[in-house]
Amino acid sequence: MSEQDLKHFVPTPPRLPARNEQNLRHRIQKQCFNNIGNSLLTISVLVLIYYVAKSFLDWAVFNAVWDAATRRECLDISPDGACWAGVIDWFNGLIYGRYPDEEQWRVNSGVVMALLWLLPLMSQRIAYRNSILISWITLYPFLGAYMFLGGTFGQDVGIIHMVFTSLAAGYFILLYLNWVLCAAGQSSLPEMVTPLTSKLFRRGQHMTGFLLVWGFLSILCGVVLAQMHLEPVPVDHWGGLFLTLIIASFAITMSIPVGILLALGRRSKLPVIHWLSMMLIELVRAVPLITVLFMAVTLLPIFLPSGAEPDKLSQVLFAVCLFAGAYMAENIRGGLQAIPDGQYEAAQTLGLGYWLTMGLIILPQAMRLMIPNIMTSFISMLKDTTLVSIIGLFDIMLMARNISNDKNWIGLHTEPLALISILFFVMCYGMSQYSLNLEKRLKAHRS
Amino acid sequence: MNKFASALAVSAAMIFVQTSASQAEEGTSTLQTVKDRGNVSCVIGNSFPGFYSLNKEGEWQGMDIDMCRGVAAAVFGDAGKVNFLPVQWAQSFTTIKSGKGDILSKGMTWTLSRDVSQGLDFLDTYFYDGQGFMVRKDLGVTSVKELKGATVCVLTGTSSELNLADYSRTHGLDLKTVVFDDSAVRNTAFFNDNCDALTNDKSGLAAQRSAAPNPADYVVLPETISKEALSFAVKQNDSEWANVVKWTFQAMVAAEEYGITSENVDDMRANSESPIIRRILGVEGDLHVGLGLPQDWAYQVIKNVGNYGEIYERNVGPDSILGLDREGTLNALWQDGGLMYAKSFR
Repeated sequence: MSEQDLKHFVPTPPRLPARNEQNLRHRIQKQCFNNIGNSLLTISVLVLIYYVAKSFLDWAVFNAVWDAATRRECLDISPDGACWAGVIDWFNGLIYGRYPDEEQWRVNSGVVMALLWLLPLMSQRIAYRNSILISWITLYPFLGAYMFLGGTFGQDVGIIHMVFTSLAAGYFILLYLNWVLCAAGQSSLPEMVTPLTSKLFRRGQHMTGFLLVWGFLSILCGVVLAQMHLEPVPVDHWGGLFLTLIIASFAITMSIPVGILLALGRRSKLPVIHWLSMMLIELVRAVPLITVLFMAVTLLPIFLPSGAEPDKLSQVLFAVCLFAGAYMAENIRGGLQAIPDGQYEAAQTLGLGYWLTMGLIILPQAMRLMIPNIMTSFISMLKDTTLVSIIGLFDIMLMARNISNDKNWIGLHTEPLALISILFFVMCYGMSQYSLNLEKRLKAHRS
Repeated sequence: MNKFASALAVSAAMIFVQTSASQAEEGTSTLQTVKDRGNVSCVIGNSFPGFYSLNKEGEWQGMDIDMCRGVAAAVFGDAGKVNFLPVQWAQSFTTIKSGKGDILSKGMTWTLSRDVSQGLDFLDTYFYDGQGFMVRKDLGVTSVKELKGATVCVLTGTSSELNLADYSRTHGLDLKTVVFDDSAVRNTAFFNDNCDALTNDKSGLAAQRSAAPNPADYVVLPETISKEALSFAVKQNDSEWANVVKWTFQAMVAAEEYGITSENVDDMRANSESPIIRRILGVEGDLHVGLGLPQDWAYQVIKNVGNYGEIYERNVGPDSILGLDREGTLNALWQDGGLMYAKSFR
């Protein structure tokens, strides 16, 4: 073999043009009908889907009755179709429970306000994103409770509740003013005040500016709200999807702080905190939710001094908060364990203390890792709230059961359940899509 | 597992309640508590057509509801001053004993064991019911005794299930039970021919029959195999309050007997010459003093809620959800052969 041979360049033959495998017919042929067994399987699945879908659609759409006065009328019109007329008739009850008709705008506006509070988070330009989230958890509940419960300032609304409601309203307005100013390219309201405050205070000018504006707006809101009178609606009139959402959103929002505290407690080196957290987590996780609910409703009033007995909703909120927190703690602990030791050591090298290490270095990474698990917990929490119907809270399930005992709609129980399934599917699917979106966004941000 | 765990939790709760409730509120009469609180708190269940259920507007209605509203009318002259507490079966006794509820009126059968072991005093029976059977008409069955070897749909954990077993054993019927946890599922199973017969209290059977795809296809058999005296109860050893509740009901029955209705009660009060009616309506005599109620208490009951007959017609009568005829049943007045017998207003 001479050197000449080695230097000789032999081009590789060009690749054949790629066949367009992307067209639908090819793909179906290749994936579903590539041999006899698969072809048979495909055909039988299609036939099965056809029959299931057809009988469902026949029942739910083609033979369904949309307009009737009673179930008997429905059955007369179409004996084997769904009777949606009853669900439509009771729709308000399914959504609002026993909340008075003329006050239902308060529920709507309260829920809309909760969503609007979070809306600025969508905008990338807004500053202090965490403070919006924290204010939503700490301040909004007071404003929401005022909207839902009603009452007059100074009479049936207590002083603490009054103050926090005003603060919440003030913050809400400030948030939107800032957003508008920010969108208009101006500096935010507190920043405008800062030159004034800088003359009075040496340090923390931004903070004082913010507090001044917030306080001013809050007092303004307080004065306005004090002139208003909302008809009081006691908690036992709450119900339907509204109540389900209140319990679920409370469980979801509270599970994070409770879960973080319990998870950190369980990993703590202080034996008392470690054992207490562990006992609480293991105890709550070892019993079904229904037991925790029963215990909260029957045992909690006994432990508390007589006369200080909270209403049933507070007892249930306490129970679901504990339950969700215990599960969340284990999720977060999983995330904490996935963080390599190097991160802790790096934080120590920087001279960060325990809380700063956790808050700035460890938890943000741990939470990001755990998004799928956390979202799974949220979704199962939302579905678990339907259990409260068993202890007599008129959530959407119990309202649905009441339809079948109504004089006009006696025996109608399949249709309301079908509607609830659809509602829950929409909510849960929305949540899971949001979590996928969140994961993608956070990953893109990092890499 | 769920059931077992919740049963454990509840029984643990009961032990606690038993010890703590007896120390609480010793000596104070419920009547005084009710007057101070400004409303009667009435323990009901979640839903029982004809006895307590929510309507579309979110108002409670039914026979038990009217009993409680009657008591509120007697105490306050206002039938609206009632706070309804829908609770689970297991909680109903503890709610009464802890003093959170004043009256237990949730279609509960008066039984010996409940009377002696749950810290309750049963007062009066406002509805006599009994367990019966429903079958498809085309079976051609006219008596339960012809159901030998049949399958029967029944709710598990109820007295219906026990009664069914007793009856089957006594009459050698060899009935096979198909148990369900949920009445809606049980009814669907029966209407889909998963069992030959459906057993339940007869008031319930009437409602279930009316919910059938075609009610004419089903018949309720004549036999009644158990005694279900639906009664209201209050906390044990509180005669003052028990008297109020008891006599509110007596006033409803007496009003029917003497022909006083919610429509003619004003006229009766103004014009009636009958000393009994005048005593009932508080025009003469001082019967109210012993009860600790206002002079017009019975008038308010009848005016606000109606007499027993009106309550029956409104909630369980032929035009209602249950469609139960009253004639010839135990729920008729005593002079019509029933068991509704008002004690003497004297």
